[in-house]
Amino acid sequence: MSSPRVQWFLVCLALLIVGCNPALADDSEAPAAQGPYFHINSADPAVDRLPLKSTRASVRIAGVIADVTITQRYRNEGTKPIEARYVFPGSTQASVHALSVRIGDRLINATIREKQQARIEYAQAKTEGRTAALLEQERPNVFSMNVANILPGDNVDVELHYTELIAPVDRRYQFVFPTVVGPRYVASGAGFPGSPHLHAGEPSNTAFDLDLRIDSPLPVSDIESSSHAIDVRGAGSRRATVQLREREPSNNRDFILSYRLAGDRTATGLMLYKGAKENFFLALVEPPKFIKPAAINPREYIFVVDISGSMHGYPLDTAKELLRKLIGGLRSTDTFNVMLFSGSNSLLHETSVPATAANIEQAMRVIDRQYGGGSTEIVPALRRIAELPKPAQQSRTVIVVTDGYVAVENEVFALVRRNLGNANLFAFGIGSAVNRHLIEGLARAGQGEPFIVTRPGEAAAQTERLRKMIDSPVLTQLRARFEGMEAYDVEPQVLPDVLGGRPVVIMGKWRDDATKHNAVRMVLAGQQADGAWSETVRAPAPDDDAVALQMLWARSRIRQLSDEEALTGGGDQREAITSLGLQYGLLTQYTSFIAVDRFVRTSTAATTVDQPSPMPAGVTDSAIGAEVPSTPEPATWLALLVALTALAALPLWRRRVALTGGTLAGRARTGDK
Amino acid sequence: MNVALRRPPVAWLALQALALWPHALWMGSRMRDGSDDPLGVVALAALAVLVVRLAPRLRGQPDLRWLAGAVLLTIASTVATLCLPPLPASLIAALALAAGIAAWLPPGTARLPFVGLAVLALPLLSSLQFYAGYPLRLATAQLSTWLLTLVGIAAERSGATMEVGGRLIIVDAPCSGVQMAWMAYFTAFTIAALTNLRDAVFLRRLPWVGILVLAGNAVRNAVVVALAARPAGVGEVAHQATGVAMLAAVCALVLWVMHRGVARAQPA
Repeated sequence: MSSPRVQWFLVCLALLIVGCNPALADDSEAPAAQGPYFHINSADPAVDRLPLKSTRASVRIAGVIADVTITQRYRNEGTKPIEARYVFPGSTQASVHALSVRIGDRLINATIREKQQARIEYAQAKTEGRTAALLEQERPNVFSMNVANILPGDNVDVELHYTELIAPVDRRYQFVFPTVVGPRYVASGAGFPGSPHLHAGEPSNTAFDLDLRIDSPLPVSDIESSSHAIDVRGAGSRRATVQLREREPSNNRDFILSYRLAGDRTATGLMLYKGAKENFFLALVEPPKFIKPAAINPREYIFVVDISGSMHGYPLDTAKELLRKLIGGLRSTDTFNVMLFSGSNSLLHETSVPATAANIEQAMRVIDRQYGGGSTEIVPALRRIAELPKPAQQSRTVIVVTDGYVAVENEVFALVRRNLGNANLFAFGIGSAVNRHLIEGLARAGQGEPFIVTRPGEAAAQTERLRKMIDSPVLTQLRARFEGMEAYDVEPQVLPDVLGGRPVVIMGKWRDDATKHNAVRMVLAGQQADGAWSETVRAPAPDDDAVALQMLWARSRIRQLSDEEALTGGGDQREAITSLGLQYGLLTQYTSFIAVDRFVRTSTAATTVDQPSPMPAGVTDSAIGAEVPSTPEPATWLALLVALTALAALPLWRRRVALTGGTLAGRARTGDK
Repeated sequence: MNVALRRPPVAWLALQALALWPHALWMGSRMRDGSDDPLGVVALAALAVLVVRLAPRLRGQPDLRWLAGAVLLTIASTVATLCLPPLPASLIAALALAAGIAAWLPPGTARLPFVGLAVLALPLLSSLQFYAGYPLRLATAQLSTWLLTLVGIAAERSGATMEVGGRLIIVDAPCSGVQMAWMAYFTAFTIAALTNLRDAVFLRRLPWVGILVLAGNAVRNAVVVALAARPAGVGEVAHQATGVAMLAAVCALVLWVMHRGVARAQPA
């Protein structure tokens, strides 16, 4: 170190490092942020950073089909043109089939395009100074809206339309309208858009309103919402309307509405639609009632519990209550194990243990100690479950409890399909704005059922429902046969077992069979606990208004193809899905809606702003990242005061030394001077 | 030459400072845009006070070797504005100014403290944080971990993060000790200039300043971490008070290190 050469080398190195000015670094090509982050408002008043002023949902439910129109109003209150980007949720079953943009008096209807083509057209319109809107699908339940060139003072209304099937569960109909995308944990390469979030409890600047109308062949009753305060008109009649009552923030959680039809009946049967080129049908068949089996075999239960940051607080409290009911209700002949996962995962026992009171109490103690923190590495957790040795004599049931705030849905589905073997998987979504795509997809891949628990009070009922399903499926070996028409492209191709509560839903296309014109019917047959079961459903005449059937069928087929694609991990079904999207005018992962104004409106480049979403109710800032305390030095002015005080002490010290006649100096070493 | 040099030395220094205006402009802009703490002004003010204090005793004839150095460095700093980033170019300018001052200082006067203060006048803190911040943070975290373990508090370090009592506490940029280092070196340079500490002695004692800063910041960090790891955490007042107390201790020790032995030689 003391060698002059080494010293010169160090000096040169230091100069070289200083010379490499970080200001010269170019990050313009850096990839865009992925994953959630906290919104920071700009100090520049010329740019309106919160352009989405309101969202309005108008819902019309006719029978079992809901037509939803969402109107997003963007207004630029700044003085510079902006491009607004907004990531928002949709129903997992939504068939998005139309988009339009209204600027003043002009209405621009969007067209469906292949995704890359739409992006090119959008980028060109943006550069040219035309107002344009691009709607893309990020996930089946997450969309991103891009609106380019919103000029100062503009009101731009973007309307999108979707259709979905409302199938009853336990004879109760439920309509869900998600209002917010929960902050997803995004591992590298998950391909999820980075989106800003407001802090927990911070009110959104975006107004939200919803009106809903139900038209039913039977009187509608028991209309209630577990999520929002509502005003209901026409309850008990065939037409009921629902309005949001509250003025408090209502766009930070799913809107959930449920109702029954008179006499606890359900609108089931066979519905036909005769189109110009193709004909479609939809069959809903109520399964028989649950029959308690004579003997129940012991089972192995593995509980996989998410304890990540987004579960901190209310969601984890709800999950604990659910687990208390689930684990507490096991039979002593059952065995169980518990896995807790966040960034890492840990199993309570090496192998499953009997559900004795002591083991259950120990498990609950461990679960109760969790407070939620860290990331959400669900894939390694499920992989570890798949590798657990399975007892030969016991059936395995895996129960996943999570809010689903991850962006690796396809990877999870493929893992469950490939590796969980004969185990049934039941997924519990916990929270006010659950990622239903993950919960429903997990259950579908694991041949189980999805459950949503929004508060601790629902835990007992959902546990009871699960227990019934696990004890005995209602129908197995289900087959459908059509008479009087030729059915093809039937969805699903293989009917799953019916676990109870939910009707059998079959969609497909049909051709006339002229020889049996008056005897069109579907026969559904299967096995239940006490023997064979069958049900015959006769079809009425085709309904000209049931045009939505073609979109529902196409959406179902796209879901099936997406599942297959997720399993192979490539883009095998890209062409088929694109073709379906373009043919039926549907938004898919490979097709997007694009609307471009024909007028060039500005020559000023627009500033891009990302509209923030509120934090879902009950979710804390831990979902994105809690502040880690640090130990900064004192304030600069205080530090400076200390240094100057030390300097001021110098004359005092020297005077003291002088007064003591050099006593102090005598003690000091003098050789230096 | 002789006629020209009859002007007061301070006027010559002012003229040289004027020649360095592009650098002053850049330093001013760095202060205004908030990209660096304006501490450089304090060092510059200290430099000015020291020169004015010595004004009656400045040489009538400059030391030509230092003057030549000052001229060359001034030219180099101007050329550097064309080919170097602003900070290294301004560093040459600061050295030029220091050489200019050294040329006029009375014989036997310490020169290195003036060089040190001229360097501290630069907007250095952000760059120091950028280049030296992380190693300093690592060293602080590691030393703090050892200190806490020594007093029986279980602590672990992972990168610049510490885990104490199940709580994560990050030693981030504002904790690195760069500000403490600036204050300590400022104190050392000023005391050395005021006491006219011989350059060789000054250089021998200077490493102690670095050691004191490193140790002082580690103790400060360890105390704050220990307080923050309690269930009640640490309040802002206690946090600031700990920082001020440790900085005061470090400055007092710097004063002692730089001043020891001087008092007897120069009692007033």
